[in-house]
Amino acid sequence: MKKMLLTTFAVFSLAAQADYLGSSHNWNDGSSDPYKAAIAAAESDHAKALAASMAWRDTGAMIKEAKKLKAAGKKDAALAMAKKAHMQAVNALAQAAVAGSAGPRF
Amino acid sequence: MKKLLTAVVSLGLVVGTASATDVEADRKAFVGHFNSMFPNVEFADYTNGVYALDEGSREQFEEILDGIPPYEEAVEKGAAEFEKYNLAKCDALKDPAAARVAHPYYDEKAGTVVTLEGTIRKCYTEQTGKKMAPMKGKIARISSWISDQAAGEKINVKVESEGAKAAYEKGKAFFFAKRGQFNMSCADCHVYNSGKKARADILSPALGHTTHVPMYRAKWGGIGTLHRRYGGCLKNMRAKPLMAQSEEFRNMEFYHQAMSNGLEITADRYRK
Repeated sequence: MKKMLLTTFAVFSLAAQADYLGSSHNWNDGSSDPYKAAIAAAESDHAKALAASMAWRDTGAMIKEAKKLKAAGKKDAALAMAKKAHMQAVNALAQAAVAGSAGPRF
Repeated sequence: MKKLLTAVVSLGLVVGTASATDVEADRKAFVGHFNSMFPNVEFADYTNGVYALDEGSREQFEEILDGIPPYEEAVEKGAAEFEKYNLAKCDALKDPAAARVAHPYYDEKAGTVVTLEGTIRKCYTEQTGKKMAPMKGKIARISSWISDQAAGEKINVKVESEGAKAAYEKGKAFFFAKRGQFNMSCADCHVYNSGKKARADILSPALGHTTHVPMYRAKWGGIGTLHRRYGGCLKNMRAKPLMAQSEEFRNMEFYHQAMSNGLEITADRYRK
């Protein structure tokens, strides 16, 4: 009986809270938005790759394209493009990490 | 204390690396690599670049040179521009042939590599108060004419001080580092795979590359500087091209030219 009462109370409390927040509340504070996270990571790592003079040719254009897609409401395509740009920047930084010690194989 | 230790260790590593630099040993290994790849090509013939490796391409090259080479007019214009902008008034360009041979060099005071195009641009600004674009047009025409004055003389890049050695090592690392979406280095094409085909083109040997710069490229329909070509190569690797005359490109040119020490500078600057 006690368990039943506790469960009912908990469900009631949560429902009431949700009602008060209204339909316009944004449940995401940004940190859990996959697009925002991907584009921020892409921009940050691309900036590091640029600073190391090791950026890839198309990463900057991909970041711009991701933003365009997002603005056009194409969320899935925007996320995919942001992730692709981030992957490029990550790979560029991996190249940068070993570039300084590169030398001939003969 | 920890920061001081880190700084001392880092400095030690840089100085240690520069001290270990042996340009002549590097050059011999570089030339040796091409000798083993192309045992029938004479050292002096590397001034002809890819035409030293492929008979068919060489015939076309010689036909072009037998006629009126497409860059001739531009080089003549470069001579007129050298006069027009009073570039001989600058000490570094007073003797054009000597200027070509003396570049690139390491400027101890500025702590940086100075290229021939860098000197031309500096002098042009001093004489006219204007800036000169670094990849094509005036810079390429004037630099070509200056290089023509040194035709027959040998490339002789000197890498002597610790600062010069450090710049040389950076340039060498840049040349061999893999970059871009294709994960390729300059050496992947022009050292390890030179003579092979990339699509319809035969990859030229890096040995001798700098004997005929600036070059006329049929693809460009005009003359361009070595740094313009560097930018194009990076783009082909799907890496973001750097600015012409950037520190990275100047360092790479320092290494790249030093590897061709002993080869003659040529006025035959036509390339496909």
